Amino acid sequence: MGCCKVPALIQAQVEMGLVNDVEHKSLFRRDTESPQRKAASLMEQGSLSASFRERATKTPMNSVIQSFKIVILSNKLNLLLPFGPLAILLHYLTDNKGWIFLLSLVGITPLAERLGYATEQLACYTGSTVGGLLNATFGNVTELIISIFALKNGMIRVVQLTLLGSILSNMLLVLGCAFFCGGLVFSQKEQVFDKGNAVVNSGLLLMAVMGLLFPAVLHYTHSEVHAGSSELALSRFSSCIMLVAYAAYLFFQLKSQPSSYTPLTEETNQNEEASDDDEDPEISKWEAIIWLSILTAWVSLLSGYLVDAIEGASVSWKIPISFISVILLPIVGNAAEHAGAIMFAMKDKLDLSLGVAIGSSIQISMFAVPFCVVIGWMMGAQMDLNFQLFETAALFITVIVVAFFLQEGTSNYFKGLMLILCYLIVAASFFVHEDPHQG
Amino acid sequence: MSCCKVPVLIEAQVEMVSANELENKSLFRQEEDAAQTKEASLMEQGSLSTSFPQHTPKAPKNSVLNSIKIVIFCNKLNLLLPFGPLAILVHYMIDSKGWVFLLTLVGITPLAERLGYATEQLACYTGPTVGGLLNATFGNVTELIISIFALKNGMIRVVQLTLLGSILSNMLLVLGCAFFCGGLVFYQKDQVFDKGIATVNSGLLLMAVMGILFPAVLHYTHSEVHAGSSELALSRFSSCIMLIAYAAYLFFQLKSQSNSYSPLDEESNQNEETSAEDEDPEISKWEAIIWLSILTAWVSLLSGYLVDAIEGASVSWNIPIAFISTILLPIVGNAAEHAGAIMFAMKDKLDLSLGVAIGSSIQISMFAVPFCVVIGWMMGQQMDLNFQLFETAMLFITVIVVAFFLQEGSSNYFKGLMLILCYLIVAASFFVHEDPHQDGI
Repeated sequence: MGCCKVPALIQAQVEMGLVNDVEHKSLFRRDTESPQRKAASLMEQGSLSASFRERATKTPMNSVIQSFKIVILSNKLNLLLPFGPLAILLHYLTDNKGWIFLLSLVGITPLAERLGYATEQLACYTGSTVGGLLNATFGNVTELIISIFALKNGMIRVVQLTLLGSILSNMLLVLGCAFFCGGLVFSQKEQVFDKGNAVVNSGLLLMAVMGLLFPAVLHYTHSEVHAGSSELALSRFSSCIMLVAYAAYLFFQLKSQPSSYTPLTEETNQNEEASDDDEDPEISKWEAIIWLSILTAWVSLLSGYLVDAIEGASVSWKIPISFISVILLPIVGNAAEHAGAIMFAMKDKLDLSLGVAIGSSIQISMFAVPFCVVIGWMMGAQMDLNFQLFETAALFITVIVVAFFLQEGTSNYFKGLMLILCYLIVAASFFVHEDPHQG
Repeated sequence: MSCCKVPVLIEAQVEMVSANELENKSLFRQEEDAAQTKEASLMEQGSLSTSFPQHTPKAPKNSVLNSIKIVIFCNKLNLLLPFGPLAILVHYMIDSKGWVFLLTLVGITPLAERLGYATEQLACYTGPTVGGLLNATFGNVTELIISIFALKNGMIRVVQLTLLGSILSNMLLVLGCAFFCGGLVFYQKDQVFDKGIATVNSGLLLMAVMGILFPAVLHYTHSEVHAGSSELALSRFSSCIMLIAYAAYLFFQLKSQSNSYSPLDEESNQNEETSAEDEDPEISKWEAIIWLSILTAWVSLLSGYLVDAIEGASVSWNIPIAFISTILLPIVGNAAEHAGAIMFAMKDKLDLSLGVAIGSSIQISMFAVPFCVVIGWMMGQQMDLNFQLFETAMLFITVIVVAFFLQEGSSNYFKGLMLILCYLIVAASFFVHEDPHQDGI
């Protein structure tokens, strides 16, 4: 993460701030804890990028109001923010779980996106290693938070299905949309991406699927030594192994970063949800940390109500819980990555799209899933890696299909369309699927 | 195997052998059946290699004592040899199957390694074609012998599990360790290997898995024409097909050897378990054949006791038979290949490591397994290719994962680590796995 080089140049650069924001010039030198420059137009697709490029990176010190403006008011998606409090209100006023679920879902979406933004801003200050780690861990913090809440409520199946749906959505929907939109923009030629990287990532996904598959196969061939508990023990052991593998993966990626991955990771970390080509952070380090905490707290709060309302929503809308967990929840959680991947593809930076999509899948399958098993172990919840036969088979086949698609190293709108249609088939399958026994 | 060209030059070369071996000079011309030169230091990583390069290969004639010294005393692993007789002793003295099993296991390890050595030595004399065939057949003779003994005892499940475990161990553990160690030594860059060969081998493995998968699927979808016997008939037919495929594979490899694989195979055959850069054999042809027979007889003897003790060991140690057969036995049987593959990887000869690991997997899946089915057919045992659902699924997934890993043509320590971790997951799965119905074991 070499995007923010010299924080010392802050004050020197600050007057040159923004022609548009004359009103804030007097506030530039204040050292309050969360001041931010109003860089509203920066959010709008990099219109200010020109004015920033000549300057070295700086850490802007903004007032509370400016900070608020930058983080909250600048993104159009944040218009959905009021839905969150509205959902909580409804929770106490009415008993209509369907509406509560819908509103919390809508309310979480902008929060998830802002969380990604704050993580990326913070990553600017921490150097490449920690920045990469930050992105790798917080990239899917929304799904993690929802899952941990569900675990606490003992809704183990919801956890499994949400994480599974997130993997499927990343691999098929996000990637498919990215290929499709990129292919449409560049309809004359085929876009290319780094084959080597894609193959290694496919291999990792397969290994993660292997970890998920064995407990399921063990269970369904009724060949466990101690029925019920063997599977759990195997799941816990495999989860530890998978966490070790993920740590090794991060270590390896960051080690090889100086030689081959540098341009990739920098841009990925920087561009994950904003579209400015500029590498300057918009908020200071402490602002980023504070906003990160605030947003995480908000997401946790809303997740509580969300998870609480799932079953009621499923009943009142007459949709299986599987569909809600596998399809609806991950679409919300992945909204930011989705937008980012499509944007990169349209700029012919397909490696970044792949990094976002497949990297996110690996993160969920090799980190979030085993992590939830371990957390469940500590909580005493019986979360295991047996995702039931249907889900495991769907995951296995999807990974193989996607691995094959990625083999060639090129993409076009047709491949994107195929992936999206695959996702529609998967979604339809889950629409008519319910667990054999309502456990 | 062009390493030993003109056996006729034997006597002429023999005095030049080694300055170190003054004491044996008087014995050089003796034509006893088991005479060998004492070349102890040759075992220790080719320290004598400098004295040999100019000679054409020769067949040293050694005395019985020297022969024993070369074959038995030169390898440090042979310290484990006494465990074999000890195991037999324990078998008759006490009834602790656990101990008998452990001691036999330890006792077989050096024998397996020496068998490989003897095979390689013999291959020096037989020319490339037969040499390659020898290696291809005897490479995994330890597993074959153990399997045939188990078959005789009617322990069909043990046979299946041992062979399966050998395939898994070769593909994941041996290959993973090789990639990992090689990657650590050469961590600056990615090591490369021949993608084309790796892909062909992966394809062969997949074909073997297909042969194993179909009887299992037939059985579990309850869709056989004649329940029970269809599956057996299909297995036997598939085994014949797979043996033909393996013969064709050998034929193809040896034919193209003259075109493109020569440097590769020479080195493979020569370096399979020692690191002597030298191509000269250390023991004469008849010595090699005799040692081969002796070692095979010993391995057979110990295998008998080993197989006999499996069930008892499983009970006394509280470990499922599946785990013992799939994980413990193959680690022993593959010890020599394991060491060889790691050594090649650390010398940046990744193609050889791959040849050892994946070649061994192909040998087991396309030769040993069908061969056991045919032997069982002749014995009247009902050995089939239905490895049960769990094992078959595991094999299938493993082959796919490994095939994907090999696709790229490069390796580093991370990939090796991934393969090793996969093996740990597989081992853990078998630790908590037992067959649904306790029959046929």
